[in-house]
Amino acid sequence: MPFVRSLLKLRRTILSSLFVCFAVGIFVSSVSAAETLTIYSGRSERLIKPVLDVFTANTGIHLELLSSGTTELVNRLKAEGDRTSADLLITNDAGSLELARTAGLLHPLNMREIDRAIPPQFRAPDNAWVGLSGRFWIVVYNRTMVQPDQVTSLLDLADPKWKDKIAIPNSGSEYLQAGVSVILATYGQEKTRQFLQGLKTNADTQVYQKSSQIVEAVAKGQIPLGIVNHYYVYRHLATQPDAPLAVVMPDQQEGGMGAIMNVAGAGIVKSTKHLDSAKLLMEFLVAQAGQKLFADLNKEYPLHPGVKTDPALVERKNFRAALVPLTKLAELREPTLTLIEQVGLR
Amino acid sequence: MSTIRQQLASPLQLVALASAGILLLPLGYVTAQALSADPAVWSRLWATRIPELLFNTVSLAASLAVITLVLGVSTAWLVTRVEFPGRRIWEGALVLPLAMPTYVLAYVYSYLLGFGGPVEHLWQLAVGPQARIFSPHSYWGATLVMALDTFPFVYLLSRSALLSMNVSFEEVARTSGVSRLSTLWRVTLPLMRPSIAAGVALVILYVVSDFGAVSLLRYQTLTYAVFQQMTGRSDNTAASILSLLLVVFALIFLITERWFRQRSRFYQTTGRYRAPQRQRYGWLGTLAVTGYLALIVGAAFILPASLLIQWSLSPEAQATVDSRFFGFVWNSAILAAGAATGGVLIGLPLAYLASRRPTMLNLSCLQAAYAGYVLPGPVAALAVLVLFTKLAPVFYGSVLILIVAYIIHFLPAGLQSLEPALQHMSPNLEEVSRTLGLGIRETWRRVTLPLIRNGFVVAWVLMFLQTMKELPATLLLRPVGFDTLAIRVWMEASEEYFQLAAPSALLIVLLSLPALALLVSKDWRAA
Repeated sequence: MPFVRSLLKLRRTILSSLFVCFAVGIFVSSVSAAETLTIYSGRSERLIKPVLDVFTANTGIHLELLSSGTTELVNRLKAEGDRTSADLLITNDAGSLELARTAGLLHPLNMREIDRAIPPQFRAPDNAWVGLSGRFWIVVYNRTMVQPDQVTSLLDLADPKWKDKIAIPNSGSEYLQAGVSVILATYGQEKTRQFLQGLKTNADTQVYQKSSQIVEAVAKGQIPLGIVNHYYVYRHLATQPDAPLAVVMPDQQEGGMGAIMNVAGAGIVKSTKHLDSAKLLMEFLVAQAGQKLFADLNKEYPLHPGVKTDPALVERKNFRAALVPLTKLAELREPTLTLIEQVGLR
Repeated sequence: MSTIRQQLASPLQLVALASAGILLLPLGYVTAQALSADPAVWSRLWATRIPELLFNTVSLAASLAVITLVLGVSTAWLVTRVEFPGRRIWEGALVLPLAMPTYVLAYVYSYLLGFGGPVEHLWQLAVGPQARIFSPHSYWGATLVMALDTFPFVYLLSRSALLSMNVSFEEVARTSGVSRLSTLWRVTLPLMRPSIAAGVALVILYVVSDFGAVSLLRYQTLTYAVFQQMTGRSDNTAASILSLLLVVFALIFLITERWFRQRSRFYQTTGRYRAPQRQRYGWLGTLAVTGYLALIVGAAFILPASLLIQWSLSPEAQATVDSRFFGFVWNSAILAAGAATGGVLIGLPLAYLASRRPTMLNLSCLQAAYAGYVLPGPVAALAVLVLFTKLAPVFYGSVLILIVAYIIHFLPAGLQSLEPALQHMSPNLEEVSRTLGLGIRETWRRVTLPLIRNGFVVAWVLMFLQTMKELPATLLLRPVGFDTLAIRVWMEASEEYFQLAAPSALLIVLLSLPALALLVSKDWRAA
């Protein structure tokens, strides 16, 4: 066993050099922290890093990104308290931001740049969080398998005729929780429970961790329908224009609740030691240039009224959104989760 | 007899007690949290999720027990009892799947068997354009992937048993007129039972605590559900309840397994050991044997590894191999080195005391260190998280908390090579050194450590390897800027960016190979 023996000889060298590296690694990371903003991001890295890279290129401020689940990160901020290294929280859901705000984790902002760029319904009253991009919870379907007029409302998907024909995100995803909250606020406990029950039966094992997987599965014809945020569909179509995908903007019928809207947004963490740089980043994200990145790269609806939506998308003025205010998503979260657990969504 | 007071006075003793405490406390906290939960949460979980999760977990474990048993024992028998060209190569190749983390194999197979994937295309060419194969995102998919990944545990132990078994038992049976098949069934296999049981037990514990494969294959098990609860809810009550169930399940299983093993012990009866004779088959038999082994090794290692290489060479994947990528490599190395070093430092006093002064106290400290066996990654993460937020919130979000979780989770693996190393060394040597006038410290430095360093190195390497591949605890606890190779694989693979995940996955496999060689060489000849 010459290999083992030489490894043994090397042992001391290996161990001590690793120790040194370890110590140096920690030292270096704490030194460079001065010019760095730390961002907790509940959005997929793919969707936010390109935007942040532009900011770094413009300002030279380095951004350290921790990508994880939104709820997980809010839990983490709560536990870390004032000791957190995070300067900014970015999430895929307004409800989570409002929950973080009511828990006192976010820093209120008085910035004219924000007031001017983002309409008031898309941010907290004290600007502790600010919406950055809009998304709608839509039904995506495979054109070869479903006719356009077969689905008009999300609630149709609970119909037994869609058994084993729909794909849904898992119940931990914040936009599913937010979507259910809107339905709950509009239709009440009983109807929402029936809807979830039907959805659960129809989806069965087709419960996905990521929306991009749902779109992929629908595009391949593995499953006819799915519920996702709209931009996953348009991002897919941007790279594969021939995919047989189409979108239903749901609940537009007379007296319907309107499409369920949510925003991805950001808030500055209360205990930040880099408030000025963090404000700079906020300013960049709400300004026209930043908003255009969300619109062009991600196919989201920019919230800045002066920025154009990607032409592939349904024009914003051509459909109605549900009337539940975003801040209400926070107080609805608890009853929504209880309902989801009672039904036993995966 | 030394009194408790004297024992406690020894600093080593204090270290051992403290380590045992650190290892057990998290488990205690999770249990307390689960038991103090609102009964309504319990009953809601019982009414909705728990039956499904328990059924899924148990049925997966059961089918894997059967499949790995067949695969492991048959391959071990072939390479030890049959002579065919390339036998020695196959003997080594059958261990290779252990270098492949479950999540890597899972993502390769979700491409291969996926809807519209290459296997389905082949199947459609053969059967007809509308034909479908089973989805990898199912019970069968999870079973296939986990079986290919874990059968080497059974193979390794069965192989050792077959090599060390005294052939006279079999020969007696044969001379008494029992047929070959019947001898295998009535003599050989029963003699191998303890080894097979140990191998299957390893498989089951591995499967029950796996997160990577089941999350990528969307198969709902208890471990996966704990992770989902932790990431999707603002309080950890439900996660603790599911964790407790998982721990109880693993404990029941471990205890039953120990009990069965104690009831069946076989000893070498005489010193007249002879190596078994290897049979030669005709060309047809040789072909069949080679084909069988090639199919298994091909499916479990060659095919996935070649796909990873091919994907890694694609321009998309090459673009991701930049300075950032080397940062991930660096993070993996630092975390794994930290955990392995910490694990050896904590494990050594525990193992040392238990072998040199086997008092009740010392033995229970050692047993406490084996708690990691019943704490799957997400549960270890949850436990450490709950503990630290209650006792020492300063460390939340630091490297320390993650390393503690690793140590809790992987210490059993390390102890398994530290313990025998210490037991094989006679205490007389230390005593001689003391009577010749060396102090305790000098004795340690000049006698004990040099003698056990082999076990020491193997333990370190094993823990390093396991930590480097670890996924769920890293996902949940990593500090800012500490993405590892495993995290990158999972992030890309879970969005089905197979090519982008490949370089990290390939590197993990490559780094695992030398460690695997070291591990296998340890007991290769000893068998």
